Amino acid sequence: MSIQPLTLHSWPRAILHIDADAFFASCEQAVHPELKGKPVITGKERGIVSAASYEAKARGVERAMRLFEVKKVCPDAVILPSDYETYSLFSVRMFEILRRFSPDVEEYSIDEAFVDLTGLRRTFHGSYGEIAKKIQETVEKELGITVSIGVSLSKVLAKIGSKHRKPKGITLIPGREIHNYLEKLPVGKVWGIGANTSEFLKKFGITTALDFAGKDELFVKRYLSKPYQEIWHELNGRSVYPVSTESKREYQSISKTRTFTPPSDDEEFIFAQLSKNLENACIKARRYDLAASRLIVFLRRQDFSDAGLELKISRPTAYPAELMEPLKKGFREVYKPNTLYRSTGVVLAGLMPEKSVQYTLFDDVSRIEKMARIYSAVDGLSERFGKHTIQHGSSLYAKLQSQHEGERGDVAFRKTELFRGENRRQRVGLPVLNVKV
Amino acid sequence: MSRQEGRFQKFTLTVNNRSPTITFMKDGIQKERLKSRSNAISGFYQQTGRMPSFSEIGEILGLRSKNAVSKLVSRLEEINVLERDKTGRLIPGSIAYPVKILGTVEAGFPSPAEEELADNISLDDMLIQNRAATFLLKVSGDSMQDAGILPGDMVIVDRGQTPKSGDIVIAEVDGQWTMKYLRKRGDKVALIPANPKYKPIIPKNELKISGVVTAVVRKYG
Repeated sequence: MSIQPLTLHSWPRAILHIDADAFFASCEQAVHPELKGKPVITGKERGIVSAASYEAKARGVERAMRLFEVKKVCPDAVILPSDYETYSLFSVRMFEILRRFSPDVEEYSIDEAFVDLTGLRRTFHGSYGEIAKKIQETVEKELGITVSIGVSLSKVLAKIGSKHRKPKGITLIPGREIHNYLEKLPVGKVWGIGANTSEFLKKFGITTALDFAGKDELFVKRYLSKPYQEIWHELNGRSVYPVSTESKREYQSISKTRTFTPPSDDEEFIFAQLSKNLENACIKARRYDLAASRLIVFLRRQDFSDAGLELKISRPTAYPAELMEPLKKGFREVYKPNTLYRSTGVVLAGLMPEKSVQYTLFDDVSRIEKMARIYSAVDGLSERFGKHTIQHGSSLYAKLQSQHEGERGDVAFRKTELFRGENRRQRVGLPVLNVKV
Repeated sequence: MSRQEGRFQKFTLTVNNRSPTITFMKDGIQKERLKSRSNAISGFYQQTGRMPSFSEIGEILGLRSKNAVSKLVSRLEEINVLERDKTGRLIPGSIAYPVKILGTVEAGFPSPAEEELADNISLDDMLIQNRAATFLLKVSGDSMQDAGILPGDMVIVDRGQTPKSGDIVIAEVDGQWTMKYLRKRGDKVALIPANPKYKPIIPKNELKISGVVTAVVRKYG
């Protein structure tokens, strides 16, 4: 039985989704050319797989697998500590390259972006497929990593395209071919449709993305909320999600989590870890001029079970000094003596622009302003001398001891192989090729 | 006429023409706005070689009503920034001269700094052409010492450039990484060291060039 196309318009819009292949592992292979073609894994310091190169994936390594399991299935895997500095540089570069092709680039995550190519065929003297190919080639030539690309009429469809063929794939889904790609795709694999919704849809006999796209508007409006109605439009080739070029300034929440080895039951040390996370989260919040109204504290035990707690804060803030009391309170509730913990985390939630925070009747205004001055000085010093030039005393134990002892304590070569003039905190903002010449 | 004299003359001109800088001083807060508006009109004049019409002034400055434009024009007329001819069309006054307002200096000698800084590029801009394709590399060997590249030096590598004969390149030859001069003669390719201790390399199986060295940086102390 032949299926009716969902739309006959081939390219009313052309949205491109780019997704780097095994991004962290690929970055490592790009700066360590001798690792090309080898199974490479990042995440050594976390004890679990953060990213696995395609060579490693082929051997059965999966994301979030514990490293000791990796050693069983793939004993020759090269396991590296994460080098987020390099990954971030690569990420920024990938977006820079995309902006050569179109000004409408949405930085969706560290290794993913949407690009609106509508109307650019003439500029580049070629089809959308050829533009995609050019982008893929440029990224590979200049950065040495491969990417997969999907081009279609909407963001949801473009994302289906980029997943369709990986690694180094290009998938074009013009209007009249949408149905061919949705036919075999389980509805739960569509961007934005979770397990609950796909279970709910199953009750109506909807199992594939095509089943869903083929439903009439009446059904969709009656049973589903707005986000799903939007996905339904997008699947039908009607673009409703714009490619938003604004850089990400709005955060729902900011979280900072860090693992340490070996696991510890030392109360002061664990609190110091938490305190350091709080300071880091606050630094980020201040960078975006945000203040948090809720604080979530959690500890992860050695057996990977979690214990956490959410606390309300009387006044939205991004100053650790104001959050230290709630943090202590939360920690005392959650922490159990004689238990080994492996990581701690802090989440700042209920974020609002710092400007819109109002003083209440009971606030000590002069104290708050004094604090604002202190932290602006702290931030100024960090900018000049590197992060954590000044720290809270409560974070001291986390500073005295290295985050990971033993072999997990390996640090990325970028942090150890320094050039003259660089230091542990501040380095030149260009990735370093690690070859001996 | 030397450059220095030229600048001094320009400055004198400013004073003679009752430049906006001086007149505006009296107007307190409105000063800045008027200054930026007259700068915008001046910019139009410098670019197009003619004065804008009233409606164009409105467009440039985001003024919707002609009345507002007309008020502004009379104000600028008062201070000789522009004039009107017999038909009512605008002719340039003091904005005709490309006078640079030199910093905050309103009398005495102009500061040379402000004027010169506009044409400077940073060390980054000088060393890096295509930022997205630029990598660093720490040199470990001495095979390029006669080219002035020593162990420990930082070289800047551009992966986006197409290598030409004579470029210093980072290459992979038969599984080994190396930095050498690239020499192409016809379809023959050789990698030439800059140190008599080493021999030229002629790739047997494979040569992959992963970037062109565009600069070397050495920091002392």
